[in-house]
Amino acid sequence: MQSQIFKPGKGMRVALMYVMYILIAILFAGPMIYLFVASFKTDNQIVADMSSIKGFIPYGDLSWDNYRAIFRKMDFVKYFMNSAISSLLVVLFGTLINSMIGYSLGLLDFKGKSVIVAMIIALMIIPSEAVIINRMMVATELNMLNTMSVLVIPALAYPVYVFLFYNHYKGIPKELLQAAVIDGSGYIRSFWTIMLPLSKPILATVGILTFIRRWGDLIWPTLVTRDDTYRTLPQAMKALYSDAYVYWGEIFAFGTMVTIPTLVIFLIFQRQFIQSVASSGIKG
Amino acid sequence: MKKNRPNRIADGQTLAAWLLSAPSLLIILTFMVIPFAMSIVYSFTNKMLIPNPNNPFQFVGLYNYIKVFTNDVSVQAFINTGFFALLFVPFTVAISTVLAVLVNKRIKGIGIIRLIYFSPQIVSITVVAVIWAFIFSPSADGLLNSLLHSLGLEPQLWLKDPKLAMYGIAVMSIWQAIGMQMIIILGGLQYIPEEIYEAAKVDGAKRWQTFISITVPMLKNTLNFVIITNTIAALKLFTQVFMLTEGGPQNSTNTVVYFMYNIGFSRNQIGYSSAMAVVFFVIVLIISLIQNRIITKGE
Repeated sequence: MQSQIFKPGKGMRVALMYVMYILIAILFAGPMIYLFVASFKTDNQIVADMSSIKGFIPYGDLSWDNYRAIFRKMDFVKYFMNSAISSLLVVLFGTLINSMIGYSLGLLDFKGKSVIVAMIIALMIIPSEAVIINRMMVATELNMLNTMSVLVIPALAYPVYVFLFYNHYKGIPKELLQAAVIDGSGYIRSFWTIMLPLSKPILATVGILTFIRRWGDLIWPTLVTRDDTYRTLPQAMKALYSDAYVYWGEIFAFGTMVTIPTLVIFLIFQRQFIQSVASSGIKG
Repeated sequence: MKKNRPNRIADGQTLAAWLLSAPSLLIILTFMVIPFAMSIVYSFTNKMLIPNPNNPFQFVGLYNYIKVFTNDVSVQAFINTGFFALLFVPFTVAISTVLAVLVNKRIKGIGIIRLIYFSPQIVSITVVAVIWAFIFSPSADGLLNSLLHSLGLEPQLWLKDPKLAMYGIAVMSIWQAIGMQMIIILGGLQYIPEEIYEAAKVDGAKRWQTFISITVPMLKNTLNFVIITNTIAALKLFTQVFMLTEGGPQNSTNTVVYFMYNIGFSRNQIGYSSAMAVVFFVIVLIISLIQNRIITKGE
């Protein structure tokens, strides 16, 4: 066993452990706290506070000026709505159609199934970014550029999520489905009435992952929007940061407003989400 | 059970499966498989985003591929991407594993601690990028430079320094990625039986010894999954570069996907960009196969 000469008491060890936990927590939460706090400060104060711990402390000339400046400078509400509507539509319909195909591949028997599963796995490996330029060419041919649907439709089906659903439904006993079918419920109706309600944790997981992905996506909106009608928040952030002069206060105010929706959604679903990511994971 | 199984066509199973699969299949076909096929075809042509009458669309053989392998900037983009992956993957996996073990305890407040460690994941990568750009401010009174100053070290240009820029991009990327990987690994830890640790304790094993000889081997499948998914994530690095450095300084942060975007979209050369995509795809495939081979060999 360990050295018996000096052994800190249990209370002391627990206290040290918590100190370590908190120090690490500061590394993760610190930059975000800084963002929130600085969003209420003037640019002069942000720069002056940069070199000390004072950056984390809300003091001095605090105001909503940076937020007001954002609303004055750009059509924030429009960009916010574009991001929110496109992200929520993808979450809603994407999660639905990916779970539908996942159910078919996981629980139903049909010809061609193994080919589709192999294709999904192969597509999981190819980063979709590898074909993104020609995906834009397809969108151009389909006359989809500069529409809401170009932000939504191509993002709906996503091989990784199809695979997650496939894995989930493969784990559900087939007898359950067969019993329902023998009772007269069709395969499609059984999906709605039995399988979807059994899938809440994985639905929450894929839903949140989809939202985070869409909400933060910059490359696709950049490729397929041509003016600011369908501009999204990440594009606006890029524009703000690329200005000749970087106004940190405004950038932080903008960053705060971009972060709050994901924070709220995440806090609502965090329990199911963390449990399901942890348990839908891989055994061993 | 088996002989009672109804005929799958007669009982509507096949029809149901195809109907339920159709929407996803159609979208995957249109927006992934067809663009992929187009990349292969266009890579042998001089296809342009906006057609140029002086340079009509035609087959150019291997011209684009020769350019991919001989152009300094495109070669540099592959090297940069590989370098980023070599920084990103080991650090992300190692730190996430250690953190997962640390938070795998039933103590008061552990739920909140896990939540905080996870929290960078919910911040959009564009916001993460600007927060870190601020931390990496090149001025002498910048956040990190002040910290260096108090330690008696010289200030650095960080993202404006070709030698340091990619490290900066890697740090912010690792910082954001860790939380999610930690939760996935935490999930894997639940499957390791408590008794093994107790037996090791009785045998007098130190904590780091049990970590190396029990935790890591028992986590094999989880870690394999994390390594493969993070390698793919690393190879498609784009947003941080696009936001902060636009490939610079001196092409030091120019990545494959950024370069593909740049030549295809900004510089009109779809053919060249497509050849880059095909080479990129082949490399990703080879890396995945090698990783897979190493993993199955170990079994």
